[in-house]
Amino acid sequence: MTLRPDSVAELAAFISDAASARRALRLVGRGTWLDADEAVRDAEPLALTAFDGVIEYEPGDLTITVGAATTLAELDAVTAAHHQWCPLAPWGGDTGSVGATISTATSGPFSHALGLPRDLVLGLECVDGTGKVLRPGGRVVKNVAGFDLVRLMTGAWGTLGAITRVSLRLRARPAADETWHLPLDATRADEVQQELRRSMTPPIACELVREDQLSGAIADGLLVRLAGNAAVVAAGRADLQRRADARAADGALWTTLREHAPSRVPRRPRSPAVQALNREVKHAFDPAGVLNPGILQ
Amino acid sequence: MSLAASLRAIVGDTHVLDRPAELLVYESDGLPGYQRTPSVAVFPGTADEALAVVRTLARAGVPFVPRGAGTGLSGGALADGAVLLGLNRLKRIIAIDPVRRVARVEPGVVNVTLTKAATPFGLHYAPDPSSQTACTIGGNLAENAGGPHCLKYGVTLNHVVAAKVALPDGTVVELDSDDGGYDLLGAFVGSEGCFGVALELTVKLTPNPERIVTLLADFTSIDDAAQTVSAIIAAGILPAALEMMDQATVGAVEASIYAAGYPTDAAAVLLVEVDGATVGLDDDVQGVDGICRAHGARDVRIATEPAARARLWQGRKKAFGAMGRLAPHLVVQDAVVPRTKLPALLARIAAIGDENQVRVCNVFHAGDGNLHPNIPYNANDRDEAARVHVAMRQIMQACIDAGGTITGEHGVGLDKLPYMDALFTPDTLDGMCRLRDVFDPLRRANPGKVVPVRYCRERRPATATTDGGRRTDDR
Ligand SMILES: Cc1cc2nc3c(=O)[nH]c(=O)nc-3n(C[C@H](O)[C@H](O)[C@H](O)COP(=O)(O)OP(=O)(O)OC[C@H]3O[C@@H](n4cnc5c(N)ncnc54)[C@H](O)[C@@H]3O)c2cc1C
Repeated sequence: MTLRPDSVAELAAFISDAASARRALRLVGRGTWLDADEAVRDAEPLALTAFDGVIEYEPGDLTITVGAATTLAELDAVTAAHHQWCPLAPWGGDTGSVGATISTATSGPFSHALGLPRDLVLGLECVDGTGKVLRPGGRVVKNVAGFDLVRLMTGAWGTLGAITRVSLRLRARPAADETWHLPLDATRADEVQQELRRSMTPPIACELVREDQLSGAIADGLLVRLAGNAAVVAAGRADLQRRADARAADGALWTTLREHAPSRVPRRPRSPAVQALNREVKHAFDPAGVLNPGILQ
Repeated sequence: MSLAASLRAIVGDTHVLDRPAELLVYESDGLPGYQRTPSVAVFPGTADEALAVVRTLARAGVPFVPRGAGTGLSGGALADGAVLLGLNRLKRIIAIDPVRRVARVEPGVVNVTLTKAATPFGLHYAPDPSSQTACTIGGNLAENAGGPHCLKYGVTLNHVVAAKVALPDGTVVELDSDDGGYDLLGAFVGSEGCFGVALELTVKLTPNPERIVTLLADFTSIDDAAQTVSAIIAAGILPAALEMMDQATVGAVEASIYAAGYPTDAAAVLLVEVDGATVGLDDDVQGVDGICRAHGARDVRIATEPAARARLWQGRKKAFGAMGRLAPHLVVQDAVVPRTKLPALLARIAAIGDENQVRVCNVFHAGDGNLHPNIPYNANDRDEAARVHVAMRQIMQACIDAGGTITGEHGVGLDKLPYMDALFTPDTLDGMCRLRDVFDPLRRANPGKVVPVRYCRERRPATATTDGGRRTDDR
């Protein structure tokens, strides 16, 4: 049976009950993350789908607060109406939830230029493994009040807390935005990618693509997204055309590319000393070991 | 052997201070108004010495406070009877890698020294607190410092790639943004010396812009200036810096040796910097110019030459100093509100100033909504000091009520402790204490800072022992 709390208070009660009974829970956002199901097979599913939708959106602040189960597609649609966007756009596509993206710290093609999940999340609300509700950070773009539980929860893969809401940094959509395809062999594509990323006007995305990966949609090479004011994009375009037989491509390819990316898996720390610290973090926030057991441990 | 003697054996006689007269210098940091005296001050000259000091202190079970340059503005580096561990002698730039665009440095390297060392490679260290000619990279890490150009380039968190840390028990850990597991590097950044001592940092270097243009727009209404800030950002222009100074600040600057030629009759001025590649930059300059004028700017000055730009910046960079001339003491504040709340909040701050008959000088990172409502006053005037205190509490509460926070870059330290429970729930504060206890279960590093002690429940640490041998090292 799947537990499906309707409120943060109910979620907190479920988790604290589970902790007292040492009953393992598997946190489920939109349920698109199949690898995790594999990792925590024997745990009771706890669906976070009730924490859905926009909670606060003041476009002039370029920030938004959403329920963790809000899909990336909805985040995109809501912000697009104000000519804004959130560059989270993780590998895996837009059907997943914002909460899962933050929990797994999944980056995407725009992360290199516009920030990783840890750079874009301003604050959150979560229920830790003892059933306590934590609300670190806030919704302003600069904040150093207190120890940083926001960064701690970001990328914790739901092993320290169930995230129920997230505040994110947004950007204005660029005035000009073009996607280009550069057919190049693998070695050359790699070189050009490095050069472009280091240029004075780096593209906002620049990814190696393989024909077989995109079901034949485009040939091997580089997919490049130029964005900025018209002059910047025009100069970028001229530069691409000098480097290769660049062709205009459909911006929708970015979504296709993201959907075809291999799913991310949690990694353990390398050194014994950091592993020991990780165990102590887990013990501090989920002493009974009930949240997504098996992951990262 | 006494503790001071053990420390002398590690760092040499001249680098341990324990006579009251010598310790006087370390009674304060950049924030006037607090004095705390350390029992001993020790200044290791190498990372190995620093580690030996940390281990000696761990064995002795003695509390300690790391200190960089002592420019902090929240009383974070004050040691009340604890050992002060000065890191300012660890100032080696170990390596600059211009290809990967990273630098490896010791914590005592002064911020601007790293930028100077990177200049031959066309690179710089982007976080630029106004104190950058004095503050250290280690202090920046511990405070998650910002600066005027963080609007575009990000704060310290966004620029630290890895840190080698001595935990308070003497264990050495390498925290690396590339490693698996929890984001403990992210957690360490901004931990204000409470999680251990950064012995070595790897930070990103940023390419220097091809071209920089600085604009000064002056307004007859502070509200118009505040509206302009949101309008520029909403237009999709991301200036490198977007700073605001009100009439009180401009007056203080212009009356000082730092006079920058700001119009003293303006209600507020905006200092906007646009930088990057030459291509497309003029479009952004025209965009900013047009938006300022459309929002009622009387005049917009545009500076492109280094000397002219430096002059426009000088007043901003020296604003705190200039305010210091107005009265014997200065309260330096730091709070953040959502950008769209700036107009309402600036009006509220003015009203609070009037009600309490204190003079508030606003100089701040407007693009981020990061306010610095500062108040020059005479602390020896009991009545005035009391009014300043009331005004500050009201201003901080107004920022919290507006959905903001109590510090954007200066940290909590000692000074902001009273506001923590207005901002966070007891459970959240307890969560913060649990995180600290992972790094420092015996609570010996910078004790009594950041989270009020009453919110830190007593708990039995998972595996901690007092012998400093709990964990294995990373080296
Ligand atoms: C005029 C003026 C302007 C300023 N402008 C800005 C600004 O624009 N933006 C901004 O963010 N700040 C600003 N500051 C505040 C201050 O300069 C910063 O907080 C700076 O990062 C502190 O660095 P420091 O080396 O002086 O650290 P200190 O003041 O010596 O220490 C600050 C904290 O860091 C800890 N610490 C220091 N070194 C280490 C280490 N190696 N390992 C672990 N912990 C350590 C200390 O324990 C303490 O808690 C300003 C200060 C002044 C006086």
